[in-house]
Amino acid sequence: MRLYLLCLLMSVFSVAAHATIVQQEMRPGIPANAEYLIGQRSKPAVLLLHGFLQTREFPTVATLGRGLQDAGYTVLLPTLSLNIPNRMQSLACEAVHKHSMDDDVAEIGRWVGWLKSHGHRSIVLVGHSFGSLQLLAYLSTHPDPAIKAYIGASLVEAQISTTSRQALIAQLEAQIQNKQRTLVTQSLSFCRKYTSTPEGLLSYVRWDQPRLLTALKQLPTHAQLIMGDADGMLGQGWLKALQHIQVPMVIVHGGSHFMDGEHEFDLLDHTLKFLEAHQQGSAR
Amino acid sequence: MKWPDAISIKQIALAFITGLLVLMSLIGGFAAYQTREVTRSLEQHNQNAAASELTSAIQRLLRQTDDQAANLAGWDETRQQLVLPEYYSYWRDQRVYESGMLPSHFVRVALYTPAGLLLAPSPAKNSLPARLPADISPPSSWLVDEAGTTVLYHAFPVYIDERHQTLLGYGMIRLDFMPSLLQQEALHFADKASVRLTLKPGEKLPASQLLSRLAFHALPDPDRLRFQSILSRTLLALFVLLMAMSLLGFVVYNRLLVRPLRRLSQDIDAMQHGRFSPHFSRSQAMRISELENVRRSLYEYQLQLRELHGSLEHQNREFHSQARQDALTGCHNRRAYEEDWEKFRIELKNAPQGVAFLLFDCDRFKTINDTYGHAKGDRVLSIIADALVMALRANDRLYRLGGDEFATFLSRTTPAQAKQIAQRCQSLLDASVFSDLGINEPVGISIGIAFCAADQLEHINDLPKQADIAMYTAKQPGRTRIALYGEDTERASQTLVASRETSALFQALASPGMIEMHYQSIHALPGRKVDYYEALARIRYRNDLIMPDAFLPVVSSRRLEAGFDLAVLNQVDADLSSQQLPPGIGVSINLSAQSISHPEIVSQLLELSRHNARHPLMLEITETSLITQMAEVRTYLDLLRTVNYRIAMDDFGTGYSPLRYLVDLPVDVVKFDISLVNKLGEDNRASQVVADFARMMSDAGYSLVAEGVETDTILHKVESLGIAHVQGYLLSRPMPLAEVAARFDDQNAGVNCAV
Repeated sequence: MRLYLLCLLMSVFSVAAHATIVQQEMRPGIPANAEYLIGQRSKPAVLLLHGFLQTREFPTVATLGRGLQDAGYTVLLPTLSLNIPNRMQSLACEAVHKHSMDDDVAEIGRWVGWLKSHGHRSIVLVGHSFGSLQLLAYLSTHPDPAIKAYIGASLVEAQISTTSRQALIAQLEAQIQNKQRTLVTQSLSFCRKYTSTPEGLLSYVRWDQPRLLTALKQLPTHAQLIMGDADGMLGQGWLKALQHIQVPMVIVHGGSHFMDGEHEFDLLDHTLKFLEAHQQGSAR
Repeated sequence: MKWPDAISIKQIALAFITGLLVLMSLIGGFAAYQTREVTRSLEQHNQNAAASELTSAIQRLLRQTDDQAANLAGWDETRQQLVLPEYYSYWRDQRVYESGMLPSHFVRVALYTPAGLLLAPSPAKNSLPARLPADISPPSSWLVDEAGTTVLYHAFPVYIDERHQTLLGYGMIRLDFMPSLLQQEALHFADKASVRLTLKPGEKLPASQLLSRLAFHALPDPDRLRFQSILSRTLLALFVLLMAMSLLGFVVYNRLLVRPLRRLSQDIDAMQHGRFSPHFSRSQAMRISELENVRRSLYEYQLQLRELHGSLEHQNREFHSQARQDALTGCHNRRAYEEDWEKFRIELKNAPQGVAFLLFDCDRFKTINDTYGHAKGDRVLSIIADALVMALRANDRLYRLGGDEFATFLSRTTPAQAKQIAQRCQSLLDASVFSDLGINEPVGISIGIAFCAADQLEHINDLPKQADIAMYTAKQPGRTRIALYGEDTERASQTLVASRETSALFQALASPGMIEMHYQSIHALPGRKVDYYEALARIRYRNDLIMPDAFLPVVSSRRLEAGFDLAVLNQVDADLSSQQLPPGIGVSINLSAQSISHPEIVSQLLELSRHNARHPLMLEITETSLITQMAEVRTYLDLLRTVNYRIAMDDFGTGYSPLRYLVDLPVDVVKFDISLVNKLGEDNRASQVVADFARMMSDAGYSLVAEGVETDTILHKVESLGIAHVQGYLLSRPMPLAEVAARFDDQNAGVNCAV
């Protein structure tokens, strides 16, 4: 018992000693921060990205990050700034959204660069929900040899409800062309009233299912999808569509979009299995 | 302070109830006072609670504002606006409210650059300062007055990092202070309408000083008001109940206690005044057992008392009657006389009328009494009273004043009627039979009448005295025994029983020397030589000489014969002792027949007899009075004769039983009364009778003295009849001893001169 307590204490100290907040100025006046969980050097660093408008504190990613660190992986948990200085809270749907997919991709690139600058030559990108889409968008536009693998959990496209995506895109493009800076309120992902600049909204709306599937198929690295068959956020037939492009995918039975409850462990287990398998494959 | 003698039970009840009401009023007042104190305390507590809750509300509001400011300062979107203010107005006017950062549009927020400049102009209606006030150091709160609206500002810094190392700008919250303060549901004690905060124009009041400037009133506490209302109603109800109970108690008390007690008291008062309630036994039974017992006891006591009272009344009537009735005669006594006379005099003042006062006196009653005994004397008085009562009018009352003296007063009468009644009295008495009692002497009464006319009632008080005078006038020898004051007492009124003479007599009896003896010579016949002197008494009173006919009636009426005779004997003794009379000259002394039986008189006579050797002494027994104790008088006279007194029968021919006296008493000398002597001057049968009687007396061996000889004719007649001595104004008038002595001295001087 005493030995167990000692190990636990050492473990806590070890975690505390290997966790730090990292901050970078993404744009002028817009600093962003990330939690850097230091693991074993021998293992790849994991960049774990939260979902739509969330932060690194979101339970799904926070739990997963702790689990990965416990498993010896260095984990960087950034919080996308969404053009908010030092954002620390989930951003409300109705807030002024002045960010775009491009801004998000740029920030992901900054964090990948930060990892690399800190000696991590083997990086695995792990995303949850919309974060999986943003990582996919990053990988599709910024192929990087240091990125060794990609795990997308609960991967979804930029959902816009029942509105015609093409009409919306056309409307947004027209506004942008007309330099109308009026905020646009549109259903996006789980937000019913997503308020954004036309450019920002357009950058997300463009990522529909076909583009996503295309990006998946064209991934320059190993990929793994972990999807819950009880995910209510997913569009009908989305899982089949994913299976159709033959991207490795693990279906967590009963898992919801957030992989909460007992499915947190499923998510962690499948992530670790993929990482171990990927690490073993790399070693061979 | 003077306490009332007694207070009634009703007053006690009233006092008790009044006291009870006063006590309850005091208690009520005390309760009301305590209630007011409690109310005041509650009000104070309310005020304190209002102050406390206002303080809490203000602190809550400030804390809430602080919290809002903190939330805003830590809000990502706030920082976003300070960096990318493109959509600041959306954030300011919509976003902060939709997100719940600010509760309502009463609260406004604005962001300022680190330099304190407003990020973007505010709408006119919600204008916030374009610059942060230079004199504040956020975080800070203050209040200002803006066009009559009290506004609370709270400025706060916004940092880019959690460590507050990099200032990103400022935020400022503006809210309408009063609505924000008063809309709090926690205000239960403070009157929201009364909350005031007065700020001077341009004044900036730090929030820390807010409480001291806030004016307010506490809300009236409904519980306190209800408590007051309930207590007031309770006190009022209690007071009304107490009043009703007091009234009811008073009524019950009055019916159960006061009325019965008053009835008992009235019955007792009635009993005390001798008014016995005839309905006492039928009076209603009392509900209080003790009072009922008292009532019954009182009833029984009243019965006994009524019987006793009846008995006492009967006895009282008897006593009253006895007290006013003469036991012997059955007529009214002196007390009744005095009461009736007083009452009658008072009545006369209202009904003036002629009044006659009749005084009756039995003639020679003492003699009758002494002669025949008291029993017969009493019987005589009874017969006299019966006769007088019969003679009086129906409504006239007869009073026995004492002894043999009776009186009556006649109302509505005249002098003639009074005399008529008096005559009727005498007639009835004369018709009365006394022989059955063995009394052979005539029994008569003398009646004195005094009359007062209706217009002279101021002299009513003099009637008894006037009747007394008239009565003694009536007693004078030769009178008809009825005398009316004023008619029959002209002379007597000046002499008889006048207070002056009476006073003189009594003084003379008490003071030796006031009786002065005058001596009238008695001459021997023939030759008319002075043989002896008759000592005649006078009273010297204030240089006046009161004659015997003025005071002797008083002596007789007052039964002063013995005392007067004793004084006379003393004065004669003194005169003889002075030896102013020549030796051999005798002295005769008048003596009342009643005095002979007095031992003191006899003793004095024996003492006086020592002068017999120088002056032969003779006692003249007056014959006008009745000698009742004949044997005793004879014994004394015999005794006196042994010491050489000669006994003379005075006024012979005017009194009672002269022959019997001559027979029974040792008489040496008989003095013919002037009425007999005057007969000798007439040439008729009476003169012959008197002359024959004188010769017969002389033949029987009596020495005769003719009194009252005032003419030579009578003197010659007397001499012719062989009467031994003569006395009268013709020969000599009575004169003082000094004159007698002087005359003898003159005679001696003449003899000596002749010699």
